Amino acid sequence: MGVVAINGLTKRYSGSGEAAVKDVSLSVADGEFMVLLGPSGCGKSSVLRMIAGLEPITAGTVSIDGRVVNEVPAKDRDIAMVFQSYALYPHMDVYNNLAFGLRRRGIARAEIDERVRGAAAKLGLAPFLERKPHALSGGQRQRVALGRAIVREPKVFLFDEPLSNLDAALRVTTRNELIRQQHEIGITTIYVTHDQVEAMTMGHRICIMDKGEVVQIGPPLEVYRHPANTFVARFLGNPPMNLLTVEIEAAAGTVRLRLGAVAVTLPSWSTRALDGLRGEVLLGIRPEDLYEVGPPGDGRPENGRTVPLAMRVVAVEPLGAETLLVLVLDGCEDEVIARIGRETALRPGDEATIHLDTTSLHLFDPATTRVIARL
Amino acid sequence: MEAPAISFVAYVRRTPLLLFLLVYTLVTGGPFLWVATMSLRTTPEIFAAPYAFPSRFHWEKFAEAWTKSNYGTYFWNSMIVVVTAVLLLTVIGAMGAHCLARYRFRGSRLVRFVILSGMILPPQLMILSLFQILRDFGLYNTLTGLIVVYVAGHLAMTMYILEGFFAQIPQDLFDAARMDGYSDFEIFWRITLPIGVPALFTTVTLNFIILWNEFLYAVVLLTDDDKRTLPLGVMHFMGSHQLDVGMLATGLMITIAPIILLYACFSETMIKGMTAGAVR
Repeated sequence: MGVVAINGLTKRYSGSGEAAVKDVSLSVADGEFMVLLGPSGCGKSSVLRMIAGLEPITAGTVSIDGRVVNEVPAKDRDIAMVFQSYALYPHMDVYNNLAFGLRRRGIARAEIDERVRGAAAKLGLAPFLERKPHALSGGQRQRVALGRAIVREPKVFLFDEPLSNLDAALRVTTRNELIRQQHEIGITTIYVTHDQVEAMTMGHRICIMDKGEVVQIGPPLEVYRHPANTFVARFLGNPPMNLLTVEIEAAAGTVRLRLGAVAVTLPSWSTRALDGLRGEVLLGIRPEDLYEVGPPGDGRPENGRTVPLAMRVVAVEPLGAETLLVLVLDGCEDEVIARIGRETALRPGDEATIHLDTTSLHLFDPATTRVIARL
Repeated sequence: MEAPAISFVAYVRRTPLLLFLLVYTLVTGGPFLWVATMSLRTTPEIFAAPYAFPSRFHWEKFAEAWTKSNYGTYFWNSMIVVVTAVLLLTVIGAMGAHCLARYRFRGSRLVRFVILSGMILPPQLMILSLFQILRDFGLYNTLTGLIVVYVAGHLAMTMYILEGFFAQIPQDLFDAARMDGYSDFEIFWRITLPIGVPALFTTVTLNFIILWNEFLYAVVLLTDDDKRTLPLGVMHFMGSHQLDVGMLATGLMITIAPIILLYACFSETMIKGMTAGAVR
């Protein structure tokens, strides 16, 4: 078992006016892979260090399997942690790095040997057991750090941005390796990262943090599709969600969104979702919800999912597998990014008809930035 | 034909540097070589031709200095005082440096300032009070008293060097060891000390050289001939054997030999320790 529950966790560093972590509450089920995601300085690492017992808690509780561990020293929490820098002991070889934590726990020499060699075999480190960390590649060091956590057989794994020191190619393979290992071992894992790709691909659930607070918790795709506010909307997704200031107008039983000089009539079925909503709002459009080519019969909202918008191409960014278009709407100053197919013939300066998927629109309150409605 | 031209230019560019190094080596190494040749010559030979190379190597002068001129006693006194002081300095200094580098406690900056400010006090300023304190504690004219003074006097510099090195050891290593279940002292013993070996070598070598040559405290705090350290012995030799330049040179070589041996063994590690972290 390894159920982690955090309740009202707060951290205030001495000499700092504002709390680094504010009233964070979340629970991680046994065997679950929870990702704490957020930009630098959002407090995610502080939360992790408080769970680990490396940082005193200002307020709130951390419980493991129902037992509050606030006052329990790090070594007695039965938690293993993988650090961003790997924190391998430079004066010890790989074998001793793996065995160091076990020796302190009074485990028999034969069992230590068995566990170390078992973990080394599992992680492909068997040939390097006598090497010192400086003689290993980045990927190998990362695996030693993981191995050091695995041999402990803890209740909970904590990862603090463990892939950020690897190059792009190695990051992908190591990410997949980590997912496989966690799936096989099935130990509760809390993983801190600022990389949304890691969060989307690795976690059973994502906890998004901003300015020390939890903004949204949920499965990756749910958080991506239903962002709770503009921060989540912009933070998840690359390129980020387009946000445009629009006016909601009602006319003759239909609802229209006024974007600059253009008025988009929304499908009749969507008017229910916007019932009673009028005035200025923020419209969120994911770049992949803008299309260069619309379906046949497009242009009549009652028949289709998309509406055509006359736009001017500002820039074209071919990425190989796809192309990003930077566009501006007539009468609207904000730029919009669209992710379209790689075969586009559009060039900067072209006038284009871009089709907006009206079933994937997000409306946010400009004052609170929280989501109002999703079509 | 282009390559030799480049190397010639490089050679010309290097000439001033080589000239400077040559002059510097002559200035620093010349006197040493001169004393080394004199140590193997007798005083009449030296007076006859001060700069001549030995016509015969008088190795027996070393045995004579060691036995008849009390250099053996001075040497062992120096060994006892310096080895003990360096050992204590290393252990206490490393513990103190580890604390200053790792822990932030109330008043830690003040403690650090007070300890490290010990470096700026000149020995001449403290000699009178030290003399009085050692007399009060019955440590005047004892090797133990000199050891205590040496440890106290050089702790600041030792901690300063070690703290700079220890502070560069990533905090993650200590956190990892804490999660592995090790206590604060075990972390110091099993993580800080082994990783800090280059810095420890630096302080050991530096302290050994400085204390081995230390004169002021020794001359004030020791009076008995059988308690004198080597630098005092050399001075005493100058007084009691007026103008016996040959024997004086032999005594100087006995004094210098351990330092040269130590430096030859650890100079590389010492430089590594002093420059660690300078280039990331």
